[in-house]
Amino acid sequence: MSNASRPPPIPPYTGPGYTGPGSPQDVPPLPGSFPIDPNTLPKPIRDELLAPDPLAIDTAAAELKDGLNRCPKCGATDIRHKPGSDLLICQYCRNEWHGVRVEEAYGLGTGIDQLKGRVIASGARNIQADAAVLMSFKCTGCGAEVTINTQSAMTARCHWCRHVFSVNEQVPNGAVPDALLPFHIKKDDAVARIRQFVSKRKMFALKAFKAEFTPENVIGVYLPYMIIDGNVSAAVAGQGEIETRRYTEGSGNNKKTYYDADVYELERQVDFTVDDLTLESSTERGNLDTRANTNNIINTILPFDTKNALKWNASYLTGFTSEKRDRDAEHLTPRLEEQLLSIARAQVQASVNQYNRGVRWEQERLDVHGTRWVSMYLPVWLYSYHQPNKKGGLLHYIAVNGRTGETMGSVPVQQWKLILAALTVGSILEAIALWIVANSA
Amino acid sequence: MSDDNGILLLLLMGPAGAVGLYWGLYRYYRNTDKSHAFERETAVEAKPVTGSDQKAGEIKGTRASRIPGDNVGDYRKRVKRVQDDSS
Repeated sequence: MSNASRPPPIPPYTGPGYTGPGSPQDVPPLPGSFPIDPNTLPKPIRDELLAPDPLAIDTAAAELKDGLNRCPKCGATDIRHKPGSDLLICQYCRNEWHGVRVEEAYGLGTGIDQLKGRVIASGARNIQADAAVLMSFKCTGCGAEVTINTQSAMTARCHWCRHVFSVNEQVPNGAVPDALLPFHIKKDDAVARIRQFVSKRKMFALKAFKAEFTPENVIGVYLPYMIIDGNVSAAVAGQGEIETRRYTEGSGNNKKTYYDADVYELERQVDFTVDDLTLESSTERGNLDTRANTNNIINTILPFDTKNALKWNASYLTGFTSEKRDRDAEHLTPRLEEQLLSIARAQVQASVNQYNRGVRWEQERLDVHGTRWVSMYLPVWLYSYHQPNKKGGLLHYIAVNGRTGETMGSVPVQQWKLILAALTVGSILEAIALWIVANSA
Repeated sequence: MSDDNGILLLLLMGPAGAVGLYWGLYRYYRNTDKSHAFERETAVEAKPVTGSDQKAGEIKGTRASRIPGDNVGDYRKRVKRVQDDSS
C-alpha cells in the first residue's frame, strides 16, 4: 500500500459524550439474556421477564425484495407515500410505483474493496427541486429543530417535548439527504409493539408513567444518519496465555489452585470491508451518555435495511416529522474509526481461541483506505415520557424501527418498589443463609 | 479460618442477592446497557486473518485463572492506538 493513499492523521476525539463514562461502551448482551436465571425469581417477576418480546424482522439475513422499481406510465407530480410500503401514488391516475433504489442507481453496494480516499455522496449540495419547500423550525418549547414539508403542513408537533408549534421562528435549513427509507411499520403496529414492550415492564414502572401511558401519542420521525462503506486494514498486538498445568496444593478447606502457563506475543492483521455502517449524524442523537439521556434506545433499534433505500423525495415525508443533519463526515470520522477498530477486534477473536487464559491486546492500528458516505433519513416511531427530577428531568424513549419493527425502550422505575423487592428477596436469602449457619454450627 | 470465610460468604448471600436483583431489574426496565451491536449486525467481509505467535516466556504457579487485563471480548475498550507503522 502506498502511503499517499492513506488519510491524514486522526485528530483527537472532541465530540459529545459518546466515549465518556456512562455511555454504552460495553458490547451489548445477546437479545433476551438476563443476568440472573429467571427460574430462581418469584413467579410474578419471572412471568414479566419471560413474556414474549415484540417481533422484529431479521434484516441481517436477506435483502428484502420490494417489487417494482419504476413506473413507465405516469409523469404527474402530485405524489403521496402509500402507508406501510415503499410505493408512491400518483394523485391523478392513481398509478402506484416504487421509488428509485439508490443502491442500484448509484452502485452503492459494489466496489467497496476498491474504495480509496473519502467519497461523499452529493446529499449535502445536490438539492433537488422539491427540497426547497422543506423548512427547518426551532421549537419554541424546547429549542429542538424539526423539519416540515411546507407543502402539506404548516404546523407540527415536536417529538421531543410534544409542543405544538407553527411557522414563526425559522432557522436556516440544513442538508437534504441522499436517500431515505419510507415507513413500513404502520402506526397501529407501532402502538401495539410499544404496548407489548411496556406490558413486560409494568410491575416496577413509575406510577405516573403507567397512569399517563398513551402509546397512541407515538410520533413517526425521520432521523438523520450517515451510512458508511469502508475499506480498511487493522492490526492488533498483545499477549496471550495458554494454560499448561493446573494443580491444587493444601488439603481440606485450605485448598489453593495454581496455574502454569505459556506466554505468547501475538500480532494479528485483518483486511476487511464494511457495508452500510450506520451512524447518527445529529449531535443530539449521537450523544449516547446514558446518565443524561436515553438516546442509546434509538441507537439500539439499528440496523435498518439500508440496501432498500430510495432516492430522496419529500413526498415520503408527508405526515411525519424529521430532524436535520448537523454533523458531517469530518465530525463522525473519530466515531467511525472507533467502530471499525471494534469490528476488527471482533474479527480477530476467532483466531486467538486457543489462548484459553485469555488475550490482552495492548496496541491497535487502523488504516482506512477508503470510505463512502451517504446521508439518509431513516424512519423511527418514537414514544416519549418526560420524568421530572432535580436536574431538569430525563426524557425516556420507547422506539420502534419503522422498517423491521425492532422495539426498545426505557421505562422509568419506581425506585422504592424496586428497592423493596430487592430487600425482600435479599432478606429471604439471608434468612436461609442464617438458618444454614445456625444448623451447621 | 477458611470456615469463617465460608460463613462470611454465606452471610453475604443476602446483600449480594438484593444488589443483583436490583441491578438486573433496573437494567431490564431502563435498558441502559443496550446499544447497536454493530460488531455482529453489520455486513463485514474480511480477508483471512494473518499474524504471528511467538512464545515469550512461561509463568509458574500463578493463582490467577485468567491473564491480567484480559480484553479479548471487550471489543469497545480501546487500547493504545498506533498511528502509523514504518513497515
